[in-house]
Amino acid sequence: MREITDEIRQEIKDMIFDYYAEECEVDKSEITMESNPTEDLGSDSLMFVELIEMTADKYDLDIKLQSIGKYMLKTPMDTMADVVDMFCKIYQYGNDVVDQ
Amino acid sequence: MYNRAFLFNGIGSKPEKLVEKLPPELRNKYDFYRREAFSRLGLPMDMNELSRHQAQAAEWLLPFICDRVVFEYYIEQGITPDIGIGYSSGIVIASACLGSIRHEDTQRIIMAHCSMLQKVEESGEKLDMGVIIGFSYDELKELFKDKFSPDELIIGSGNSSFHVMVCGKSEAVARAVDYCTEEGAIKAFVMKTGTAFHYPVMKDLDTESIEVCKSLEYKDPVCPLMSVFDIAPLETAEQVRRENIINVYTPMRWDLALKKLEELGVKEFIDTSANGAIKKFSRVSRKCKIYTFEDILSGNYKPHTHSAKKTKPDNAALTYTNSQNSNGGYYYERNYR
Repeated sequence: MREITDEIRQEIKDMIFDYYAEECEVDKSEITMESNPTEDLGSDSLMFVELIEMTADKYDLDIKLQSIGKYMLKTPMDTMADVVDMFCKIYQYGNDVVDQ
Repeated sequence: MYNRAFLFNGIGSKPEKLVEKLPPELRNKYDFYRREAFSRLGLPMDMNELSRHQAQAAEWLLPFICDRVVFEYYIEQGITPDIGIGYSSGIVIASACLGSIRHEDTQRIIMAHCSMLQKVEESGEKLDMGVIIGFSYDELKELFKDKFSPDELIIGSGNSSFHVMVCGKSEAVARAVDYCTEEGAIKAFVMKTGTAFHYPVMKDLDTESIEVCKSLEYKDPVCPLMSVFDIAPLETAEQVRRENIINVYTPMRWDLALKKLEELGVKEFIDTSANGAIKKFSRVSRKCKIYTFEDILSGNYKPHTHSAKKTKPDNAALTYTNSQNSNGGYYYERNYR
């Protein structure tokens, strides 16, 4: 397991918010932790895959999409808080995210 | 070797989602081509007045018109292809944009699908297509081994390392979607198309469009077209004819075709869909880049020195002439000089 600091957590949150703001063409200030990525921001699963690829590159993670898919079966991404929490767990646990 | 490849998406996106991405002057051009096509085909402009199957085919036709408008805009900007490639029905619009068939021919091919929709309905055959996100072609092939027979389900296209299209009998597509979801797909869904392009059974169902493809007059394309079936560049009229004929009933490998383009030297991939649809499901290596219509409109793409592979005699160079027709609309002629 990789340690995660408050700084990294904040960096991940900023990265995700910046990404959705740009891809969904919404003002970053309009995105909150309660926003629903699909219904409120209009994001889709292909954007989500791109975010995973971007995160894997940035933090040098070797992550299988199916591990994330299985995690999402247990924990749906209903809010941006869910998304940020999942990416922090991916940072920490990699493919073992499915067991979290 | 090639440097720049044009990627043609064809059908797949909702027409309204495409049209909203066009700036006003291109929207006018789109409206002109649409009026022209509907008039030629004897279709009312009001989609509500079309029969169910006509409406479906018309909805497939509109993205073609949009792709044509975007393609011509690129040409006008001096961005020309060294090679083209079409995703599924994108083969048809690629064939037209690259000068192998006429745009009127693409409309005939698409409208011929109406009889296929009718035939599928009458046969009682329930067909569908599905998208699986989160698996590669090879991963899915392994997963489906012993679970599905080729008679009920096939992989219609490996699109990228994380995106695969499946097609076949509705029940099998639905079962595959559920199975992939359980196995960790990021998303898996049925497309509810009522048909199954790239499924071999289509050879006996989509006979009218196959016959149209056979009967058309083809010319050598002005630049090669990469085959998504044989994974090789097509340079002759006959090769393009075959690509169009087998399209509806043959599984394709978009992922391998893009890889082949890279091997042939392509660095710049230009998405001709107005909404960047192809870029979303395609992947190329880091040394290459896929540029979208938005990139080009916003000036984020600067053409590199262009040195297209000569596919014609030395005295032949591809030129596109912008002309205005009697109705005030624009059309383009592709010439060799």
